[in-house]
Order: sequence, then structure tokens, then C-alpha cells
Amino acid sequence: MRISNIDAIALIDANNFYASCEQNINPHLRNKPVVILSNNDGCIIARSPEARALKIKMGTPYFKVKERLNKLDVAVLSSNYSLYGDMSRRLMNLLKNYCEQIEIYSIDEAFVSISRPNDENLYPWARSIRSLIYQNLGITITVGIGENKVRAKIANKLAKNIDYSAGIFDLARTENENNYLKRISIDKIWGVGKQTSNWLQSKGIKNARELRDMEENEIIKKLGIVGKRLQLELKGHRCLPIEKNKKSKKEIQVSRSFGTPITKLEDLTQALATHAIKASEKMRSQNLQSSDIRVFARTSKYSSQNYQRSAHRKLTSATDDTNKILKIVVELSEEIYNPEYKFSKAGVLMQDLTNSEYLQQSVINYKSQKDLKKSANLMRTIDLLNKRFNNNAITWAITKNPQSWKMNKNFLSLSSTTDIEQIPTIVK
Amino acid sequence: MDSFDSTTKKFKIPLLTDSVSAGFPSPADDYTEENIDLNEHLISNPFSTFFLRVKGDSMINAGIKDKDLIIVDKSLTAKPGNIIIAMIDGEFTIKRLSIKNNELYLKAENHNYPDFRFKNHVDVQIWGVVIYSIHSYL
Repeated sequence: MRISNIDAIALIDANNFYASCEQNINPHLRNKPVVILSNNDGCIIARSPEARALKIKMGTPYFKVKERLNKLDVAVLSSNYSLYGDMSRRLMNLLKNYCEQIEIYSIDEAFVSISRPNDENLYPWARSIRSLIYQNLGITITVGIGENKVRAKIANKLAKNIDYSAGIFDLARTENENNYLKRISIDKIWGVGKQTSNWLQSKGIKNARELRDMEENEIIKKLGIVGKRLQLELKGHRCLPIEKNKKSKKEIQVSRSFGTPITKLEDLTQALATHAIKASEKMRSQNLQSSDIRVFARTSKYSSQNYQRSAHRKLTSATDDTNKILKIVVELSEEIYNPEYKFSKAGVLMQDLTNSEYLQQSVINYKSQKDLKKSANLMRTIDLLNKRFNNNAITWAITKNPQSWKMNKNFLSLSSTTDIEQIPTIVK
Repeated sequence: MDSFDSTTKKFKIPLLTDSVSAGFPSPADDYTEENIDLNEHLISNPFSTFFLRVKGDSMINAGIKDKDLIIVDKSLTAKPGNIIIAMIDGEFTIKRLSIKNNELYLKAENHNYPDFRFKNHVDVQIWGVVIYSIHSYL
């Protein structure tokens, strides 16, 4: 029944990625408990192994454990996405050299395909990339190997949970597969959501082995082709390919929580304008244009006011011009503003994206074509200057007033790998 | 001859990468190449290369001075004789990896600084190998 074992798929992910990035570049943090806070210094979203050992829990709001962390001498850091982004780029590029295809799945995980050697044993390969990544980046990775993505994900979980695995597990080459699949509870299987998991449990299906052996018709009746595919993958067939070039995004979102909730229209407008500038820049870097621009704002999930508003504008022709987009976003921000509510988060969404390379300009006259070219040149120049000098060398005046709503990043580490002014110092 | 179009009796202006609106085209035009990119020449493993800044004169005899820019390749395995960056007691340290009486140690290139013996410390990690130092003379 199994497909040939010539190709294997591995899920490779970094352990404690954010904390490892910080520990690699800052000697003070080496062997010390480190936690990283979410945007706006909200919750704990990453822990170094030393912090795990102190039983500090993921997702804990910072204010609740502030005292305790202090007492335990835990290093607390805001999330530093310029550092993590750079380390992720390095990680993925290094991995590329050691596999056939790679699908970057998130900032710290990738599916890769690899041919099995004659003896079919991929452990030596996995051990060598593991030590290579550790030496090059100071980051420990876990390698889960299987016949397909679903089983590679499971193998990765097993590699983390089994003490003697040393961070590597090959599910396609194990003798007692049933025992291992039994250890994976149903809600931990890749592609099984909360609802599906509840339904399966009501049917008495508790783990991956039981799902693999479940009556096929029953799955198809409830979950359709998606469920069938999942079961086939659990059995070792390959249904989901490695996606080398992920389809271009359907939308681009830039949103942030506010440091303190805002009630003034000018603050909301300024925040949305700042996000709009970022979003248009993102679009241009991917050759995309939007013809549906949306803004939204909401109150805190934890507050008694539960208010959320959004507004959007459809355009007759798609654009990536910051000037045009700003004008629309400023108007839309007035539409969603309500003085009665304290907004804690706002954002812009660029929807209905099209590739600007293949853009068909509908009915446009000579003059507007000239204007388009002019604005495109201006945008390109601004992007180049911002790339050449640091970010926001050139920006729009609206962002220049004091930004009272700015996110809290009180414990931000330096851009040690991407900014020459912030590189580490050797003291001795 | 090629640039003379007999049907329109007009000279076509040759297309150049540089804009030359009058006079003769630059004779160097056919030889234009990209600028020299130091990244390309100094860095062979860009994904494992990091930059650090020196403070102090502990490596003065090796020609590494205060404020120099240090390029470190973490993919290289340190060999005796290499200048290396180590993480020791919570700090970045720059030293020469040396060997004496079959024992590896870290040598400061300045008589005022002590050498570093591995056996006296618990928490040492050789972080990377220095491939270049860049000094500004201005």
C-alpha cells in the first residue's frame, strides 16, 4: 500500500526560536532563563530551555508574573522581529543547501523533501544538518521525517517528546509504528481543528492510530475530501505536495495593538496612516496592487465595551500608490471612528490583490498614464531610499507628529545582525 | 555605418547605459561592469557571517585595534592559529586560539592581558572564526 520510500518529507523546526536568536547574539543571555513577550509586551510567547525548566508557562500575561520573573532573575525581552526575521532568512537559506525542495511554512519551520540514500537511513543526514545549523546560527532544530507532510509533523512531535530521540525521528522507519501513533492525541494532528477534534472524540477516536484505522466512509461523510486526504496521509500516501512557490497572498494586513487605548480621531488616523504606508510598501515589494482597501479598529477583548468597526473602499483600478491609499485611509478612519469607545487595536487590509506586472489598465487616457508613471517612479525612489538608508528615511508628514499610541516595546533588544550601528561589542 | 539608416536619412543615437547626449560615446562604455562589491569578495558564507565591533586593545599585536569592524564566519571550525570570538562569562571575547604543550588556550595579543585557560572556566563557547578586521584611518 505504501508509496515508495525513495523520497521522504521532513518537517524541520527551530526549538525556542525567538529565545535562541537572542541567546546566540547576546552573551549575557547564554545559559540564562529568557522569555520573550508578544507585541505590546502582553504575554509570554517564547521561553529558553532554562525558563521552561523554571515552569514559566507559555501565554501567561506579563503583568501577572512580573514579580516572579524578577525574583528568578529571568531576562525579559520584547519581540525583536528584525532579529528573528534575519535569523529565519539565514536558517532557511542554509537548509536549502541540504534538501531538494523546501517549503517555508512559518518563521521557524519548513517542510523539505529529500531522497533516501541506498540504505534508506536518513539519520546521518538529519544529524549533520542539526549540528550544522547549531554551529552556524546557535539554533537547535528538530527533524521529523515521514512519507508525507502529516506524518512528518507527527514525527517532529515524537522527536521532541521522546527523550532518546536526540531531536530526530523517522516515522517511516520504525518497527512499532502503532505504539508511536497512539501517543499522538487527535487534536495534535496537523489539519485537525477544534470542531473536527470534538466530532472525532465523540466517535471514540482519540489518537492518530485510531483515526488512521477509522471507517473511511464515516470520515468522508462528515469531513469530505479533506478528511479522506488526511486519513490517506496517516496511512503513508502522499496527497499534499511541497509548495515551493507559495501562492501569492490574497491580502496584506498591517495591524498593531496600541500601547494605551486611544479615543482621539487624530490618533486613530495617524496610526492607520502609518500602517497604510507600511502596507503599500509591502505591496510594491511583491509587485502587488490592491483594488479594495479596508480599515478596522476594535476595543480590547478584555474590556466590557465590545466594539469593532471596519469600513472599506473599492477602487475602479488597482493601486500601490501610497498617496492615493493614504487619502482613502484617512477618509475611512473618520467612518469607523466613534468617540465613545477606547480602541486597543487598529489595522489596514489591502484586499483584492493583483499582480502589477500583468496589470491591465482599463480605459485610461494619455495624461493619466503619464501620472501613473510619475507616481510609480516616485514610489520606487522612496522605496530605494528607505532600503539604502535606514527605514523611514523618507515618510509622510502625518506619521511625524508624536505617536502616543505606539506599541510598548520596553525590553527590545538590538538589531544586532542587521544594523551596523547596533552590532555587538567585543569587550575583552 | 550601422547607425546610418538609409530610409530616413537620419542618424540613430546609439543606446548607452550612461546617458550621453552630445559628443562621442565613451570608449569605456562596452567595458562597463558592476561595482566591486565587498560583500561578495570578503564573505563566502553570507548566512553564517556576522559583524562585531572591537572595544579596547587586547589584540593590538595582531593588528586589531579599538573600534575595528570584525567579520566573523560561524560556519568555520576554529583551528589553532585562528583568531576567534568566544562567549566567556557573559561577554564576547576576541583571542587567538593557540596551543602550548598539547594544551589549547586563548592568547591575548597584548602583553597587558592574561591568556585564557579553558580548565579554569566552566562557561566557554567558541562562537566563530574572525575572517577580517576592518580599520578606519580617518
